[in-house]
Amino acid sequence: MSNTTEAVEIAPQEKTKKPRPVGFYIAGGWLAVIVFVGLFGRFFPLPQWDEASFDDLGVAPFSPRHLLGTSQDGYDMLSGLINGARLSVFISICSVVMGGGIGSILGITAAYYRGRLDAIVVTMFNIMLSIPNLVLSLALLSVLAYSDANNPASTSRRVGVLILSLTIVLIPILGRISRSSALQWSSREFILASKSMGSSNFTIIRKHIVPNVAPAILAIGFLAIGSIIIVEGSLSILGIGIPGGASWGSMLANGRGNIAFSPHEVYLPALCIAFTVISSNYFGDYVRSRLDKRESKI
Amino acid sequence: MSPVLKLTDVSVSFNTPRGMLKAVRGVTIELNAGESLGVVGESGSGKTVLSRATMGLLPRTATRTGTVEYLGTDISNYDAKQVRDLWGTGMAMIFQDPMTALNPVRRIGDQLTESLVVRLGMDKKAAREKAVALLKRVRIPDPDAMMRKFPYQLSGGMRQRIMIAIAVSCNPEMLFADEPTTALDVTVQAQVLELLSELRKEFNMAMILVTHDLGVVAGHTDKIAVMYAGDVVEYAPTRQLFTNMKMPYTEALLKSIPRLETPTGTRLPVIEGRLPDPTKDEPGCPFANRCPYVTDKCRAEKPPLTDGGNNHFYRCWFPIGGN
Repeated sequence: MSNTTEAVEIAPQEKTKKPRPVGFYIAGGWLAVIVFVGLFGRFFPLPQWDEASFDDLGVAPFSPRHLLGTSQDGYDMLSGLINGARLSVFISICSVVMGGGIGSILGITAAYYRGRLDAIVVTMFNIMLSIPNLVLSLALLSVLAYSDANNPASTSRRVGVLILSLTIVLIPILGRISRSSALQWSSREFILASKSMGSSNFTIIRKHIVPNVAPAILAIGFLAIGSIIIVEGSLSILGIGIPGGASWGSMLANGRGNIAFSPHEVYLPALCIAFTVISSNYFGDYVRSRLDKRESKI
Repeated sequence: MSPVLKLTDVSVSFNTPRGMLKAVRGVTIELNAGESLGVVGESGSGKTVLSRATMGLLPRTATRTGTVEYLGTDISNYDAKQVRDLWGTGMAMIFQDPMTALNPVRRIGDQLTESLVVRLGMDKKAAREKAVALLKRVRIPDPDAMMRKFPYQLSGGMRQRIMIAIAVSCNPEMLFADEPTTALDVTVQAQVLELLSELRKEFNMAMILVTHDLGVVAGHTDKIAVMYAGDVVEYAPTRQLFTNMKMPYTEALLKSIPRLETPTGTRLPVIEGRLPDPTKDEPGCPFANRCPYVTDKCRAEKPPLTDGGNNHFYRCWFPIGGN
């Protein structure tokens, strides 16, 4: 009898959990350390990062009072790096969250409604992308945070403008990714199905498109954190980033003249930048590979 | 009482680079509460477009003419907001492929309660209870556990049951089932069709069952509209159509269903040729080039929809069995 038949449940697929790769723990561990140090580093019993100890100028690492040595000017490297972590992480996370937020709102809305709005947003993204990132940041920094010997711009002002300019750089990059992803999902049948049940456009975007687009943006967001740290470093070396060794890039910029006498002054911040960028890239790739697996199950 | 759905001379055309593509050409159909209509035709005959056009779920490139009356009210000129108020609570649709019609990243429970909360204004707890009851109604074993599952954990038949539960959740008057069984196993097809018929009677819904399979509509509809190249070419009560079909096209469709009793090795008859170009308006019967009984008159003049009595309409100059 067909009216007594019940739907038969298929055998539950036993989830075989693959152990996570070692790299995942290394990258995750490094990022966790950086974030922890960035948040709580100022409470550590270490010399002040911006107070020079004139007894120890250019001390090598592993000396009694300075674990990672000092710079030629007597600044403690370890506390400098810890302070740099705070700024570098703060700047990159802020700009990625803001750029990703604004970019994905624009991208998803454009992809969902199409038409004229889409054309305007895409054109805007293209124009923004046609300006080289470094040049754009350079221009913004030198206009909005102009500083010379007589009236130096405060560090917080510089950080603010830096975040603003990096956000502007990131909006079209993350926006385009969320647009193309949302475009794909918008044409899926479950969007039409939800629409045919009378859900409003806002509900459909919030409940059906955003959850599907989010992993892609997250994956690219991690990659973006890495490249933003590099951009921040490049700007500091050009002399318009954060001044006075407050960030990793800035430490690098200050130390590059002393590479012959105290190479650790350059290598240590460079290593920090490299590890962080590699870790966040690895993390981004890992998130993306998980995402691909999930998609293949559908 | 006015019929649930009344289509008068509904046409749909798409604006394509090759010109206006006429997908539906002047269809007139009437459907009462609790009644079910099968729309049959081959791929590209306009059956899916017809059901989507009735709901107003067409892409922007499409234009619809003619009038659609829902419960006696003309809804052809409703704006987006007014139409959306009808969707779900007035008209609902079940889609062809349950594999793609559920959101892969959301739990079944969330998707099922979405319209209950959004459309009926239920609170979360009431919506959950109603959803569990609906799952039980569509015979999902262990509905509580089902609420927490993701679509990829379910088989096609289960997903289609979920889709049906979602479609009937807001008690629509009118249900469109767009090839609901095409993506399913033959064994599950019968169960799903049986379930649809039961629900239709229980909720006194009118239903349009779109399919390319005459076998599917035979036991589950009150009347049948056979579509070809955007036209309804035969429109009759189900029993009448099967016992006394007039259109050579309907006959050809029926002949091309494989049968168990034919000896092994027999060639399955197919309808030779293909549909005429939908962007062109050619004179004559659109089926002329494929029809075994074609005459010169068929090629020259398009036959009108003729009333053969007993609510039987057909579009043919030389119907099978005479006029």
